[in-house]
Amino acid sequence: MRWGMVIEQKRCIGCNACVLACKAEHFLPPEILWNRVLISETGKYPTVNKVIYNVRCNQCAEPKCVDVCPTGATRQREDGIVIIEEDECVGCRYCMIACPYQARSFYEDGDAEYFPGQGLTEHEKIGKTLYPHEVGVVQKCGFCKERIDEGLAKGLKPGVDREASPACVISCPTKAMHFGDLDDPYSEINRLIKEKKGKPFHPEYDTQASIYYID
Amino acid sequence: MIGTRPYDFMVKYTPQRDWIEGHGILIAFALFFGGIAGGLYLVSLYYDSMWGMFIAWILAMVTGLTDMAHLSKPMRFWRMMLKPKTSWISRGFIFIWLFLGVAAIQMAISYWADGTAIETVFKVLGGIMAFGVAIYSGFVVGYVGAIKLWNSAIIPILFVIAGVAGGLALLMVISLGNSSLSTDVAVALRVALIAYAVCVAIYLWMATYESTAARDSAMRILKGGVASVFWLLVILLGIAVPIIMLFAASSSAVLIIAGIMVIIGGVALRYSILKAGVYSPLVPTE
Repeated sequence: MRWGMVIEQKRCIGCNACVLACKAEHFLPPEILWNRVLISETGKYPTVNKVIYNVRCNQCAEPKCVDVCPTGATRQREDGIVIIEEDECVGCRYCMIACPYQARSFYEDGDAEYFPGQGLTEHEKIGKTLYPHEVGVVQKCGFCKERIDEGLAKGLKPGVDREASPACVISCPTKAMHFGDLDDPYSEINRLIKEKKGKPFHPEYDTQASIYYID
Repeated sequence: MIGTRPYDFMVKYTPQRDWIEGHGILIAFALFFGGIAGGLYLVSLYYDSMWGMFIAWILAMVTGLTDMAHLSKPMRFWRMMLKPKTSWISRGFIFIWLFLGVAAIQMAISYWADGTAIETVFKVLGGIMAFGVAIYSGFVVGYVGAIKLWNSAIIPILFVIAGVAGGLALLMVISLGNSSLSTDVAVALRVALIAYAVCVAIYLWMATYESTAARDSAMRILKGGVASVFWLLVILLGIAVPIIMLFAASSSAVLIIAGIMVIIGGVALRYSILKAGVYSPLVPTE
């Protein structure tokens, strides 16, 4: 089993719903984003094209971050998800340097508030107890592994059942994101990759990313 | 271009910041101390200078401490030795600790049992560890495929040569009381500085055609934001003027000044390389 994602670029409208869903799901502190919507333009008038890339940790099969991590805090699960054990991270940031996709964030300021000087909101207070993040370590997207693990324990199927799927995937109003098992030849994401010739983000880095993009 | 562009680093060449800004500047010093510690120990072995070996030992300790000072969780430093199979930081940390142990034993044996076979064994072991300490920082940087300027096979060689040049400069200053030794070291330093200059030139020349990102970085060093540090501190102060001084004069004061200049140039070299490292754009813009 290897969890993966397919993103349909033409369906993505750049609404950032996935970014906010991730923020809310993981109670991410200010300045920290685990996924991002990158927008750019190509070509010259009148033949211009708007390019939208929805990016996050690619959960690479050959992750550079895992290789360079000196402590083993960054590691790969059997299902391919790359995780960070926060209590083992020393904060050397070598993994951030080595990630060609710039998908990692460093949580530096534990006192940062969403509304500076106004105190923590109720949501932030809840987050600090429900989903505490360790200050001074690196963080990143983990494909909502908690949702996947709990869903599987309940007999649900990630990518099919909302409760077991990543928050960004289920929040997408245009259904531009698909989640499933890359090792399952009959999964929807494998069908999409085959039919629409899906390509990973920057394949030249040779990391065997688990997120594919299709038109 | 569109107005909304929340992450500029994704659409253009973006300098890395984690290992140069704020606390990150310590990495430049750690790379420097590692190089000069290993280089000084190796040249001290060659010239049989106990003081040189001792100062190299201190500098290796400083390398480890500088590395640890950069960590946001320094009390977990021992964990940095857990992944030698794949991580160059892990390997480097192990080299430093092994060097500290082996070099301490070697110096004790050299002091109390000079000329014995066991001394030779520990000198060889110490030399191997010192080489590891000198070269590992080059591999730490060179392994990073995301930053094309760094991802070069020449960087470990460059860092070792820079370390040896720095080590010779330090040994020259240390051994000023012994005129024949300091003269010999000064001659070796001239050669090392010339080799160092050639290596810097080859490294940057290769970067200009390896990839567009490496070229962008090289241009930052040669004519961009890092140019003043590179030309003034690395080339002029760290290489050119010391070579002229070593050829032209031999008074102690001149040699001390030349030595200090080489050392400052060594720090500036690491700073320039770290500062000029850029990531390639992630999304197409043309």
